[in-house]
Amino acid sequence: MPVFYLEIIVVVLGLVMLMVDAFVKLEDKRHIAWIGVLGLICVFFLLFKVEWPTTTESTFWKFYDHEEGTRGFSLFYKGIAVLCTIIVLIMGAEFRGVIQKYIAPPEPGAHPQSGLGEFFALPVFACAGLMWMASASNLVSIFVALETVTITFYVLVAYMRRNVGSLEAGVKYLILGALSTGFLVYGFTWLFGITGSMDLAEIKTALASENVNVAAALFAFGLIIVGLGFKVGAAPFQLWIPDVYQGAPTPITAFLSVASKSAGFIVLLRIAGCFLSSAYLSEKIGAVLVVIAILTLLYGNLAALPQKNFKRLLAYSSIAHAGFLLMALASPPGKSGGLNSPAVVISFYLGAYLLMTLLAFLVMTAVRNTQEDESVDAYAGLARRSPFLAFALLIAMASLAGIPLTAGFFGKFFVFKLAFENGASWILIAAGIIGAAAGFYYYLKIVASMYWAEGDDEADSISVSIPSKVTMVLLMIGILVAGVVPNAILSLLG
Amino acid sequence: MTFLFYIFAALTLVGGIGVVVYKNPVSSAFAMILSFLGLAALFIQLDAYLVGILQILVYAGAIMVLFLFIIMLMDVKAEENKTFRGGAILGAILVMGGFAAALVKVLLDSRIGEGKLAPLAESEQSDVHAIGDLLFTQYWFPVQIVGVLLLVATVGVVVLSKKEMK
Repeated sequence: MPVFYLEIIVVVLGLVMLMVDAFVKLEDKRHIAWIGVLGLICVFFLLFKVEWPTTTESTFWKFYDHEEGTRGFSLFYKGIAVLCTIIVLIMGAEFRGVIQKYIAPPEPGAHPQSGLGEFFALPVFACAGLMWMASASNLVSIFVALETVTITFYVLVAYMRRNVGSLEAGVKYLILGALSTGFLVYGFTWLFGITGSMDLAEIKTALASENVNVAAALFAFGLIIVGLGFKVGAAPFQLWIPDVYQGAPTPITAFLSVASKSAGFIVLLRIAGCFLSSAYLSEKIGAVLVVIAILTLLYGNLAALPQKNFKRLLAYSSIAHAGFLLMALASPPGKSGGLNSPAVVISFYLGAYLLMTLLAFLVMTAVRNTQEDESVDAYAGLARRSPFLAFALLIAMASLAGIPLTAGFFGKFFVFKLAFENGASWILIAAGIIGAAAGFYYYLKIVASMYWAEGDDEADSISVSIPSKVTMVLLMIGILVAGVVPNAILSLLG
Repeated sequence: MTFLFYIFAALTLVGGIGVVVYKNPVSSAFAMILSFLGLAALFIQLDAYLVGILQILVYAGAIMVLFLFIIMLMDVKAEENKTFRGGAILGAILVMGGFAAALVKVLLDSRIGEGKLAPLAESEQSDVHAIGDLLFTQYWFPVQIVGVLLLVATVGVVVLSKKEMK
């Protein structure tokens, strides 16, 4: 099957879900989510069956990456987008009670769950956008795919519109997101102005030639890094993250923190790659990336220490992980590919990050369903109320902290190995070590509270639906397998 | 022609400053229209007639009318009584000053303006033709993605603005 069918199938799936919502009388709108989940599982398996083009004459291939060397990466990031959307839909089905409570009550005579169908259909369209982003090889297609994703997120973040937190998050995300897009597009115009091309391959050649306009290229990169830094949550453009993550509906927070971040990173990898491969620019661009990585590592990890709200804690944790990813990007690339190239290390880290973050959010969704409280105290004594959920969260937290035998350990290990072997600056490595050490404290604080703190043992036991339970078990297996045999993920990268 | 450029550039800038400085949102919106008109004139000077006309029709016309509608629904008086905080002004001046300084430095250092691009007026097609041709031949794929984007935006607007029943 030709590779570009994938996104078309996903868009059609989204349309089918909207049509079913509009025209089929369903008693329970959760079935729409199940249609999406089944469809996306099929798409996930189709990822292993794609065919690449033999002729690339059509103008289409100017916008869609098909280089031999990066095919594995494109598919890997498409896979991340699809998996993440599947799990977000499962979480959304679990979370429907809370969503229902905060969207407008149905008109008399309308379906009691009206307004829920779109909540399941919109992430599927975002998934198509994320998949296009993973393949975008042209500034135009990067921009339109990015905007498709961002605009969907503006809607989804503010979805619980009768909840003040969700509305506030939506407005903040909209205004700051629009501002960052402005910077990004302005950067793109400068890049077009100095290279005369929108195509990343041609931009790469133009930037590497000796008559490149260094001042203007640096200015363009500065503007682009403001825009993309916002999307991936890099300091100093991270201020929106805690509020937006806390206010957004929990499934959407998970979607933002995994899918949006990984798509941002593949775009950043592609664009920064063009700059870093130029002998005239690489040194200065590298210095900029080192500064951003240090700021992100320190801010994310240290600001997470005093957090009392679990969702906010995960927001800071997502900044902290962006810091480790940027640390890999800022390390000078080695000569032999494989684990010596930042792209491979970043992709592995993102794969591990997907498993552990989504597991944490799944547990959070289940706990949030039975109680309003989102603070860390709500997890006190969870081990006695629900041993299964506590164990799942234990694995997620251990992996996020980077304890051996989990996927998160190898993620951090590869980043540090890359930084050491290729001679990254020692301040960067020191910031990474401080960050990792701080991470131990705030992740394991949750574990300690679950297992040893006095909790409300009288509270209702927490019921978990079967699809979520299956997903949690699969994610746990994934974390442990990748924590013992990291090649399981690495081999996917081709 | 350079004389006209300075007039319209000044118009654009004055309008832009007006948007920020006016306290009354309606005055701000009108200052924005002024700024857009100046910008449209600059585009037309560059022979980009279609972009210039769209700037007036779409931005100064349709979008600004929408803006004014929304402003009228808000409480204009509350906005007028707002005072600027010293810290915010200082921060804005610092950020904008830094940005402007960087821009000026880059423009002075770089050799931008030693144009390589042919003037638009010399191309064979009219620019409406040329843009339409490009959009639907070379750039058909991004145009299709924009279709999905608009669909998502439409669904989102319907969901977020559904009437609330009491």
